[in-house]
Amino acid sequence: MNKSIEKMRASRKVLARYEYEPAAIDKGYSGKTLYIDISNQTIKAKDVTNQMKDIFIGGKGFGLWYLWNAIKPETKWNDPENEIVISSGPIGGITQYPGSGKSLVVTLSPLTNSLMDSNVGGFFGPYLKFSGWDALEIQGKAEKDVVILIDGDNGAVTIEEIDFQPGASHLISEQLTEMLADNEKDKMHVSIVSSGSGAEHTNVGILNFSFYDLRRKAARMKQAGRGGTGTVFRDKKIAALAVKYSSLTGRSNNPADPAKISKTGVKITREINKFDNEQFRMRQIGTANLMTPMNDYDLLPVNNFKYGSHIDAVKLSSDVLRDRFTQNMPDGCWIGCSLSCCKAVDNFELKSGPFKGNKVIVDGPEYENAAGLGSNCGIFDPDYVIEANFYCDTYGLDTISTGTMIAFAMECYENNIINKKITGGLELNFGNAEAAMELIHQMGRGDGFGLIVGQGVRRMKQIFAEKYSADPSFLQDIGMENKGLEYSQYQAKESLAQQGGYAMTNKGPQHDEAWLIFMDMVNNQLPTFEKKAEALHYFPMFRTWFGLQGLCKLPWNDIVPEGNAQTDSPEKIPEHVQNYVDLFNAVTGRNIDKEEMIRQSERVYNFQRIFNLRLGFGTREHDAAPYRALGPVTVEEYESRAERYDKQLKEDVGIDPAGLSTEEKIKAMRKYREERYETLLDVVYERRGWTKNGIPKPEFVKELGIDFPEVMEVINKNL
Amino acid sequence: MIEVNGKAVDWEEGMTIVTLLKKMNYTFPKIIIRVDGKVIDKKQWSSYQINDQAVVHAHHLIAGG
Repeated sequence: MNKSIEKMRASRKVLARYEYEPAAIDKGYSGKTLYIDISNQTIKAKDVTNQMKDIFIGGKGFGLWYLWNAIKPETKWNDPENEIVISSGPIGGITQYPGSGKSLVVTLSPLTNSLMDSNVGGFFGPYLKFSGWDALEIQGKAEKDVVILIDGDNGAVTIEEIDFQPGASHLISEQLTEMLADNEKDKMHVSIVSSGSGAEHTNVGILNFSFYDLRRKAARMKQAGRGGTGTVFRDKKIAALAVKYSSLTGRSNNPADPAKISKTGVKITREINKFDNEQFRMRQIGTANLMTPMNDYDLLPVNNFKYGSHIDAVKLSSDVLRDRFTQNMPDGCWIGCSLSCCKAVDNFELKSGPFKGNKVIVDGPEYENAAGLGSNCGIFDPDYVIEANFYCDTYGLDTISTGTMIAFAMECYENNIINKKITGGLELNFGNAEAAMELIHQMGRGDGFGLIVGQGVRRMKQIFAEKYSADPSFLQDIGMENKGLEYSQYQAKESLAQQGGYAMTNKGPQHDEAWLIFMDMVNNQLPTFEKKAEALHYFPMFRTWFGLQGLCKLPWNDIVPEGNAQTDSPEKIPEHVQNYVDLFNAVTGRNIDKEEMIRQSERVYNFQRIFNLRLGFGTREHDAAPYRALGPVTVEEYESRAERYDKQLKEDVGIDPAGLSTEEKIKAMRKYREERYETLLDVVYERRGWTKNGIPKPEFVKELGIDFPEVMEVINKNL
Repeated sequence: MIEVNGKAVDWEEGMTIVTLLKKMNYTFPKIIIRVDGKVIDKKQWSSYQINDQAVVHAHHLIAGG
């Protein structure tokens, strides 16, 4: 390793250098953003205006604002004009409250051809801010691979060519961290953003953001996973980003009221220490704690979302995964996080691929990985899930999309839409872990059937219909994508609210906007359309807020304070909502309340909706869902829940199932459910202040204060 | 008959919260139970008798993704 690091250092060729005086952080903001055009090596600073802080706050807000101003309506994801914008947020980087290290990545997506935003942990976002930059804006395309280095200690930004082993993100993170650090402890001050070879061959490339684990002596990684951000990165020929910042303290944000931040942080850390073990066990299992309850409640995606549970799911249970994670490690992806939920499997020996035989650290699996790569493909082997998790990360592949893409291909294979000749010999039956792993390697290498699968479910539907005479309506029904983005790993079929929570999103069916399945389906807290509409307004707005601030959503409701049950709305975790209001005010010196918190999100959320409209999307037709997301498509799906569906037909639809064939029952159920979904769209749009076509109404846009002339032009053109 | 989360469920003599949760297959570790509007502490679940006609809310506090 040392020899290759020396070689790397010697190979460094600086193409451009920009020296600057890092701005002093004032109440969460540096007041400057960094713009880089890698087509012509332009590096410059831009000012953060008061309007940006008031309307867009930070994080995703800044990303959307910069992208709006950078591109034209006809700009495509692989045009040089497209930007990758990375921004934390005013609260990002505090160390006293768990989950305060997130950044948002915003770009145009190769999957959706529209806006994509993806949140990510790791150290890069906060270090970027403390190095003097509230956001990083990258435009253009390089001729050869470049690395952008931000030296926050010395006030220098460089664009460089550096000779290092490409293609495997875990090695890039490791090598660049080693190269930039002066010693072992100094590695904590470095964060690398990279992707892998899979991002060059698929539409589902991710960005890995590193965080150095001193105890493990390893650069670990968190992912900006959704929508192909890594594909854009590699298309621009960016090999890596690096930041180094050595002066982090608990007051690096220069907050208005540091005592309030500390007090709030101590309070929630006490809660975590007292209650985590009896609640969600985040410190033991992380998000994988969901595997068992999802299966128990028939909500685990199995076989391309056909079913909600499986007899073999016990092999991938929360406790099985817990036993694979190394316990009692400081597993926070930002410094000071007491929820510490980034579990890892240590010394895992890889059985396949280019790193076969190596013993590696695997970051995860998170719930999404275990469900997506595992149960949704009919695979219940934890070793497979862990290895697939590793290779997806290092190849730079979105585990959620990869799982849903492979599951779709498997269902097509089992329905003889594709065969061994088409798949190059891969027997893509549900449960075939070997074939699934080979597909992942193919996506990493850029060969074989993996090149087709890696284009995404929407493109696969087109290809299979055009080239293999598949029934396009069947493909549409089972192809779990909306707006071009693959569904994340929850069964929405029996929860009308979650169906909306997935398909009415700005970017596509990622559950960061809303997770309403239990509230709706199990707790029955949303029995009317009005209550569903209220939930589909409040929760997307509330959850959007985290992405403006530099915060992780998990500490909001993955730990529950004492007395929460006695509150009026326990599902909102009111005490923690107040914590966040207090944190924002304590950092920024402003004085918002819970209502203004929602209004902050409404401005950015509606701006994003209008931006989608500007790009040719953002209307009702784009909020349609594949029928698999709404109800049973096939006979076996219906019959797996026959008792429930027959009861619903009788009681809710008013049709007696007796004497009807399963196909007739499916047809009747489908009409009912599709009509219900349309009614949901109507009531949610109304609640959100939108027209029947899903366009924000002009008077509401004015009320929000985002009625810029160019925004109103887009709205008026589309009304 | 009792009502659980808005749905009719058969009542049984001697039904406790523990037996009800088992009947409903409600296995999640963090559930708030209200019976006729009153929150029942988890310590009482194995002894608290649910009467016929009771209205029960089993509020799962599951955070999700």
